[in-house]
Amino acid sequence: MAGMGSGPDHLFNLRNTFYLGAYQTAINNSEIPNLSPEDAVERDCLVFRSYIALGSYQLVISEIDEAAATPLQAVKLLAMYLSSPDNKESTISSVKEWLADSTIGNNAILRLIAGTIFMHEEDYNEALKHTHAGGTMDLHALNVQIFIKMHRSDYAEKQLRVMQQYDEDHTLTQLATAWLNLAVGGSKIQEAYLIFQDFSERYPMTCLVLNSKAVCCMQMGNFDEAESLLLEALNKDAKDPETLANLVVCSLHVGKSSSRYLSQLKLSHPEHVLVKRVSSAEDNFERALQSIA
Amino acid sequence: MLTKFETKSNRVKGLTFHPKRPWILASLHSGVIQLWDYRMGTLIDRFDEHEGPVRGVHFHNSQPLFVSGGDDYKIKVWNHKTHRCLFTLLGHLDYIRTVQFHHENPWIVSASDDQTIRIWNWQSRTCISVLTGHNHYVMCASFHPKEDLVVSASLDQTVRVWDIGSLKKKTVSPADDLMRFTQMNSDLFGGVDAIVKYVLEGHDRGVNWASFHPTLPLIVSGADDRQVKLWRMNETKAWEVDTLRGHMNNVSSVMFHAKQDIIVSNSEDKSIRVWDATKRTGIQTFRREHDRFWILAVHPEINLLAAGHDNGMIVFKLERERPAFALSGNSLFYTKDRFLRYYDCSTQKDSQVIPIRRPGTPSLNQSPRTLSYSPTENAVLICSDLDGGSYELYIIPKDSVGRSDVVQDAKRGTGGSAVFIARNRFAVLEKNTSQVLVKNLKNEVVKKSSLPIPTDAIFYAGTGNLLCRSEDKVVIFDLQQRLVLGELQTPFVRYVVWSNDMESVALLSKHTIIIASKKLVLQCTLHETIRVKSGAWDDNGVFIYTTLNHIKYCLPNGDSGIIRTLDVPIYITKVSGNTIFCLDRDGKNRAITINATEYIFKLALLRKRYDHVMGMIKNSQLCGQAMIAYLQQKGFPEVALHFVEDERVRFNLALESGNISVAVASATEINEKEQWYRLGVEALRQGNAGIVEFAYQQTKNFERLSFLYLITGKLDKLSKLMKIAEVKNNVMGQFHNALYLGDVKERVKILENAGHLPLAYITASVHGLKDVAERLATELGENVPSLPEGKTPSLLMPPSPVMCGGDWPLLRVMKGIFEGGLESAARGGAVDEEEEEDAGGDWGDALDMVDVDGMENRDIDAILEEAERGEDENDEEGGWEELEGLDLPPELDTPKASANARSSVFVTPTQGMPVSHIWSQKSSLAAEQAAAGSFDTAMRLLNRQLGIKNFAPLKSMFIDLFSGSQSYLRAFSSSPVVSLAIERGWSESSSPNVRGPPSLVYDFSQQEEKLKSGYKATTSGKLTEALRLFLSILHTIPLVVVESRSEVDEVKELVTIVKEYVLGLKMELKRRETKDDPVRQQELAAYFTHCNLQLPHLRLALFSAMGVCYKSKNLATAYTFAKRLLETNPMESQAKTARQIVQAAERNMTDTTELNYDFRNPFVICGSTYVPIYRGQKDVSCPYCTARFVPSQQGNICGVCDLAVIGADASGLVCSPSQVR
Repeated sequence: MAGMGSGPDHLFNLRNTFYLGAYQTAINNSEIPNLSPEDAVERDCLVFRSYIALGSYQLVISEIDEAAATPLQAVKLLAMYLSSPDNKESTISSVKEWLADSTIGNNAILRLIAGTIFMHEEDYNEALKHTHAGGTMDLHALNVQIFIKMHRSDYAEKQLRVMQQYDEDHTLTQLATAWLNLAVGGSKIQEAYLIFQDFSERYPMTCLVLNSKAVCCMQMGNFDEAESLLLEALNKDAKDPETLANLVVCSLHVGKSSSRYLSQLKLSHPEHVLVKRVSSAEDNFERALQSIA
Repeated sequence: MLTKFETKSNRVKGLTFHPKRPWILASLHSGVIQLWDYRMGTLIDRFDEHEGPVRGVHFHNSQPLFVSGGDDYKIKVWNHKTHRCLFTLLGHLDYIRTVQFHHENPWIVSASDDQTIRIWNWQSRTCISVLTGHNHYVMCASFHPKEDLVVSASLDQTVRVWDIGSLKKKTVSPADDLMRFTQMNSDLFGGVDAIVKYVLEGHDRGVNWASFHPTLPLIVSGADDRQVKLWRMNETKAWEVDTLRGHMNNVSSVMFHAKQDIIVSNSEDKSIRVWDATKRTGIQTFRREHDRFWILAVHPEINLLAAGHDNGMIVFKLERERPAFALSGNSLFYTKDRFLRYYDCSTQKDSQVIPIRRPGTPSLNQSPRTLSYSPTENAVLICSDLDGGSYELYIIPKDSVGRSDVVQDAKRGTGGSAVFIARNRFAVLEKNTSQVLVKNLKNEVVKKSSLPIPTDAIFYAGTGNLLCRSEDKVVIFDLQQRLVLGELQTPFVRYVVWSNDMESVALLSKHTIIIASKKLVLQCTLHETIRVKSGAWDDNGVFIYTTLNHIKYCLPNGDSGIIRTLDVPIYITKVSGNTIFCLDRDGKNRAITINATEYIFKLALLRKRYDHVMGMIKNSQLCGQAMIAYLQQKGFPEVALHFVEDERVRFNLALESGNISVAVASATEINEKEQWYRLGVEALRQGNAGIVEFAYQQTKNFERLSFLYLITGKLDKLSKLMKIAEVKNNVMGQFHNALYLGDVKERVKILENAGHLPLAYITASVHGLKDVAERLATELGENVPSLPEGKTPSLLMPPSPVMCGGDWPLLRVMKGIFEGGLESAARGGAVDEEEEEDAGGDWGDALDMVDVDGMENRDIDAILEEAERGEDENDEEGGWEELEGLDLPPELDTPKASANARSSVFVTPTQGMPVSHIWSQKSSLAAEQAAAGSFDTAMRLLNRQLGIKNFAPLKSMFIDLFSGSQSYLRAFSSSPVVSLAIERGWSESSSPNVRGPPSLVYDFSQQEEKLKSGYKATTSGKLTEALRLFLSILHTIPLVVVESRSEVDEVKELVTIVKEYVLGLKMELKRRETKDDPVRQQELAAYFTHCNLQLPHLRLALFSAMGVCYKSKNLATAYTFAKRLLETNPMESQAKTARQIVQAAERNMTDTTELNYDFRNPFVICGSTYVPIYRGQKDVSCPYCTARFVPSQQGNICGVCDLAVIGADASGLVCSPSQVR
């Protein structure tokens, strides 16, 4: 969170590509010479987090060995957590153990990973315990998202203000602004759309940005535009879960069949929120039938 | 003050602008008169015939004349074209101070130290009037620009206005002049044709200057009392209006500005002062260190002034005339006077947007300099020099393209320059610290950044980037990465123009244009002798720019040329095709159409778009030496060939482009040795043996020819050549050829014939021709030469050629693009249609190859780019090793603090309420409850409102509504996805945090669409499909939400319409099943006709019922259907059958079977049992679809809609929030 500085920021592009979801690009362009040791660790974190985002958990687990720096170990934990839901209990206990260790417990990446994992566990209380103090843009951005998930946009806004004070033009600040705008809705949605639009003009289009734009469109009731954006995203990555999920929603609204996208999503991401939603809805329906009978 | 031109010379006493050309005359204290071109900055001429100082000089406004007057008492009239003094007017008896031509009469007015003013006729070269009255030196006298008045100033402390009206009357007849000459003496004292009208007294010392206002009845004067006085006059009197104090020494000259409401004065105090003529206050002062000012001149047409001083003169402008503008797409925003205006280039409509300055603000050069516009936010940044550099930020209200005169309260700030760098961010330069402040639209500082070089101006350079300018270079700086993206040494850059794709940038300096890439890699530099004013990129990447007097183009490779000349300077705002949009100095938008052929052609050549080139060659008039020279110089001789008629030039071009066949044709035409020779050389180079041979033959160059034959192995021709040589008595040639042929006998013969007997002998004996050798030996007698011993001779035989005959094989390279078109296109009239076609065919081939070429180029470009990128990366990585603190916020520098912070103080907030909960709490509409996931509530509502009990058909809709109510946002990497509730009825003005109702996947219009499809399916007899559609409508409607009450009625109406169809179709399908029961069949068919159907469908029902009954011999019943059918005006085919049945039935009006059908008695049909319920009989109905049933059906599920319980209590359909409110 360098406010005003004069030296060049070597990792600027890498961070941006990562935040905007161009994970493969981030990996491909990670060879940056003359990095300071700290920068190198941050770079490696970004690269491994990119691999995780791409689902290459095993690669991350095997690449990061015992000798690696704490942040990298933390990243490895995330990979372990995401790779085997069955063993997540043990991963969570090691996370907790590490957090309790005063020498590394305060590491920003570790806290970030912990926050992410507890968020997956929907244990927002535990997540916030480690992330609420912030310290890096990533942590604040994660906080914004946690508060959005908790439907506490007032708190999210406070986090965002902190981010804006550090660097209003930071990619994460802009993204978090857009997330919050989407969460509070109303006229703010248009601002969110403009932010994503800015990104799409400035950087190569990613599924993430296309999806975000599509979400804005849907929120504004413009399902036709959303659909074309999503189809563009589908072209880039036919298995992207959010693209498929949003396509399901969008198809429903434009009166087209959504079943193909839904089955694709069920096949590739059986754990996706939408899949769970649909199956829970079916149970819910049966239960409701019984309650009314 | 904007100095445009400056000279160094002796003291300048007189100045005059040429009214049309960029010339100024300066008369010097040394006696010389200089003619300068102030635009080019060159001395054109000097006139040196006066003795002593020349104080007055003036250009004629239409003739090539000027007049001068000096201390030698002489008035001289000159022709500047012929550089000659035409004549001298004598009469004054002392120094002459000023001279001036009249604007229409052939008069000159002069003022002299002899206390008189004289008016001369320069055609008759006589003095026509002497104005006496001043009693000291007359320092200045001038005609009124329109009226018959003269104003004069004198050291006698007065300003006088003279009426010369009578003088004018007298000179109406040309004969008068002669007569006047005789009268002159009598007029000399107390002349009557010029009388003093007013004497203006008020100055305390001698008056040096007085001049009229160009349009108003005002006079301004300057005197040795250091004051400038403003006078007003009317028909009868003149009076002093005001005094302008401020000069510290004698005021030498004072004038009204030709275009602005200001007064300009200069003085011996070494200053020029500018005054507001209305408010009579000083606006600005310009001082010089050492030079006292003596004279001022105002350009009559354009906004220029000149002042003469002790050591030369200056030509200057008071204010910049370039309007500030910014272009975005087709929208041009610019400032004019007090307003921001908008011009739409596509419609060419011009409108006022908002006022940006309060009226009557005094200012010089305080008007906007630059403008920056953010289209998304509709915000404008206006920079001016006010307060040493400041900006104002205006947000243009969306609806205000009005005449509102209220100045918005703009957000302001100081700074060297300010530009938008992103949609809602702008950068402001702090000059003294070389820092940039990034601000948001609230004018709050978001970020500070120091710039890599001392910067005095910033320009936009793509989102987030700035182009920083210093004296001698520009850099592009990425504000976020804090990286220099590019750097370029340049002269002082004034304007920056980006191409539409932001890939190239043009940097405009005073006399230079630099084109560079977006990373400031220099592409080309252009130098102009005249000032560069403006420019814009056209869509093809050509830079179109203006100088003071030309519109020019610059191609990407740096080639430039003139498009057209200009009368007045313009500022290009946009180039679109052949149209140049520009602003002129009056702030008017103009669209100029230009002929772009030349540069488009050159561009096509450059880009290797030969198809375009060819098209242009064929279709447009592109010719002339310049174009040929250009093509040759640029390496396109084959293109140039198309333009040339002259054979010699054609020959040269053909050789240059290696086009042998054209060269041969031309050479044949010219038929000179030199051409043949050169053709031979080129043909040899290409290995075209045939042409080489032909060329050698033409030049009769036998040596070369024989060598050619030798190496190409044409021995027969070689021996022919030998014969020719023999005939021509060319012994050497003969011998050579024999040698080449390896013909020893012949050689011996030649040697013998030539008298070289010893040589012949040796040759013969060495080659073992014993007979001949012996014969020769006898002939030689004693002189037989001795043969060397111990050597074994061998016959010298030329090696056999590698390839015998024919041309060298040539690589099949890309066929010259123009080869095909050549024959047909070039030779003027000789083109016939067939050839034209050929050319077309060839073009087809050529085109393919162009593509290949293009691809290659692209590849190379790509490689180049990669290489560049590589370099850039290296650049980025090298150098900046300085490590910028850790990415931690200041307050978190100590980890402890944060650890404490997070362990103790923080309390996790309680979870907020998901939007779906809000929905389910707020809504009493079933659809919204379903979308919120509260299926049970939804079901309860439906049950209560519509008596629905069978929810199975609604299951998929419930789930779809629920699924469609949220979208999924991937926010932070690897964290859980965020679900966002989609709300209905969004608008731009919806307030945030206020939850709208859920967006639903079903709406009323979909149902209407389904209804139409259902009708269509019914018409085409697809009854099952139709039934499915109608049922689907019935099943969806409980979950449809509409907004208004009237729509609710429409929904209800739709239910009844659809219900009828469902019932009818169900019965019809049932009828088709019950084939074996004709009575029931007839009944069902009959009931169907009583459903409320669209007319075409009713006809179908009637027709079928009619048929069924007729078949079953129930003629009377069939008769009723036939009658009803006929009443509906059916199609003729149906009508015919119906009439036949009517006829048949009329003969025998009976029914064979009894039907439960009495059409005279009104009835409804039971939706389950399909029996008529006649009026008066008891029935029950479905609470939802309103279908009627026999009472026994009470409590069953409705057979029509399949949802509700028959006879259940229900409150009625609720499908709109308007019903609930």
